[in-house]
Amino acid sequence: MILFFRQWQGELLKLFARRRTYIGFGAFLGLEIVILIIFRLKGVERIFERMISRQGQAFEQYYSALTLAQIILGLSVVLLGAIYLALVAGDIVAKEGEDGHYRLLLVRPISRVRLLFIKYLTCIGYTFALVQFITWSAFVLGVVLKGWGGGFFVMIPEIGLLTFYDWVPGLQHFALASVFLSLSMTTISSIAFFLSCFPIKPAAATIGALSYILIDRILRETGFMEDYDHFLLSKHIVSWARLLIENPPWPIIIRDYTALMAVNLSLFVLGAAAFESRDLKS
Amino acid sequence: MALLEVRNLTKRWRKDQLALDDVSFDLRQGEILGLLGHNGAGKSTVLGITLGMVRPDGGEVRIAGNSVQHERSRALSHVGAIYEAAHFYDYLTGWQNLRVLCSLSGWWDETEARRILKLVNLGERANHKTKTYSHGMRQRLALAQALLPMPKCLLLDEPTDGLDPEGIREFREFVMKLRSEFGMTILINSHLLGEVELMCDRCVILKQGRKMYEGPVPSQEKSKSAFILQTRDLAKAREVISRAAAMMDPVTNIVSVPAHAVGHEMLKLLVDAGVRVDSWQPHKPTLEEFYLGMTGA
Repeated sequence: MILFFRQWQGELLKLFARRRTYIGFGAFLGLEIVILIIFRLKGVERIFERMISRQGQAFEQYYSALTLAQIILGLSVVLLGAIYLALVAGDIVAKEGEDGHYRLLLVRPISRVRLLFIKYLTCIGYTFALVQFITWSAFVLGVVLKGWGGGFFVMIPEIGLLTFYDWVPGLQHFALASVFLSLSMTTISSIAFFLSCFPIKPAAATIGALSYILIDRILRETGFMEDYDHFLLSKHIVSWARLLIENPPWPIIIRDYTALMAVNLSLFVLGAAAFESRDLKS
Repeated sequence: MALLEVRNLTKRWRKDQLALDDVSFDLRQGEILGLLGHNGAGKSTVLGITLGMVRPDGGEVRIAGNSVQHERSRALSHVGAIYEAAHFYDYLTGWQNLRVLCSLSGWWDETEARRILKLVNLGERANHKTKTYSHGMRQRLALAQALLPMPKCLLLDEPTDGLDPEGIREFREFVMKLRSEFGMTILINSHLLGEVELMCDRCVILKQGRKMYEGPVPSQEKSKSAFILQTRDLAKAREVISRAAAMMDPVTNIVSVPAHAVGHEMLKLLVDAGVRVDSWQPHKPTLEEFYLGMTGA
């Protein structure tokens, strides 16, 4: 076990010693600030004021740090987050092949599956780190602007959710939802990881994963796949938002996450099989 | 005793591209073996299969009795290697690179790592990022990683590629030291025949995926079958030599004696026939001559 953690530590060092790993973190911080500025300048706040007032609630109370953080999260994570996750996960196997690092790594007495498993864990770790960073940096920015406390107004039309919380239960729902959001995003990382196990360019793995996710989402939103939408990943990925419902529908959440974890596992196994069968020679 | 056994390796890249055809050889404990061949002869493929990077279509490699194809981790625990060009993580220091690589072997010992870095003359630059390293320094770092942890057997793929003459000499001396001080068994895949000649005890020559020769480095053996003749009676000498079913090169005057014959018997025949022999010396072919003859280049 100590050996495994030492090997994982090495992989994490490789990932976090690279400057490009931090591009995602920097980009999101920038995006969050831009979103908040636009909200101020373009009068978006007034739209929220109307929505909150229409429900008979006080705008000042519910337009809080949590509400802002939730809006930012909803706007940025699924699309822009997917890009950065696919970029890192698409790189993690394919880039090492392209740069010729396997000639150093795999002459060591370590099995390919073990090496891939360490890389996959690193991918999952990065996914959690990035999503949690986005979540809590958005929250901190919200606190800077609106101060600590207030209520939490949640509106997610995708799952027909419109609700109001007090500060503490709101924070609890927000924190729990962010963990499930991280879990949802691991599927996007897994697709890019799977593709990067094949002898392709890292960019091809990234673009392939993003294309799949976009097509999946388009198919769901156009409604053509209404009868078969359980085959679409985006239907299950969005389940993180159900954690924001006052009494979360756990059977649906468990079903969705079982499906996502099964997809993750299948992608890892198939990717490992593809990588195992490759001849690694220039 | 063979530390590394290569048995009947066959590999096709595509249906019509045979990379290796039934190649077998042994690397004996404590010896330095040179693997020679032209570009595309299959040298790197042999090394790739030996390291489990390439899957053979047939055959097997065993290291210290463990099959690379079936017990890869156990087999490779005896081996240190430089396979093709060593590409390090440029954004990490030499020290961090070694740490990451050694963790994959399940081993790390700071004192030993420092000792090896000093041995390859990288002690002072270990904490610099490898993107600042020269080619020679990268090669030395590659050698350091291959020696951590100290293996029984070292496999080196074109280790002197791109090194300047001083670097090549330094490398050669280092390899010889590894054998004399640590009793290390070494396989070197190289284009530099002169270097192989100076370092290796035996060599294997590959041509288009087939083994053409396995044996002692020719120039290190006293030749028993070729002699240089100096005489003023060339015509007469040729006549005697051809009668004895031997051959004489008209330009170099090298007399090749048939395998069953002995050199001094041929000399006696020449003298008995009245040929005035000024000089009769065994001819020691260089590895280059031998290699070119073997590969038909």
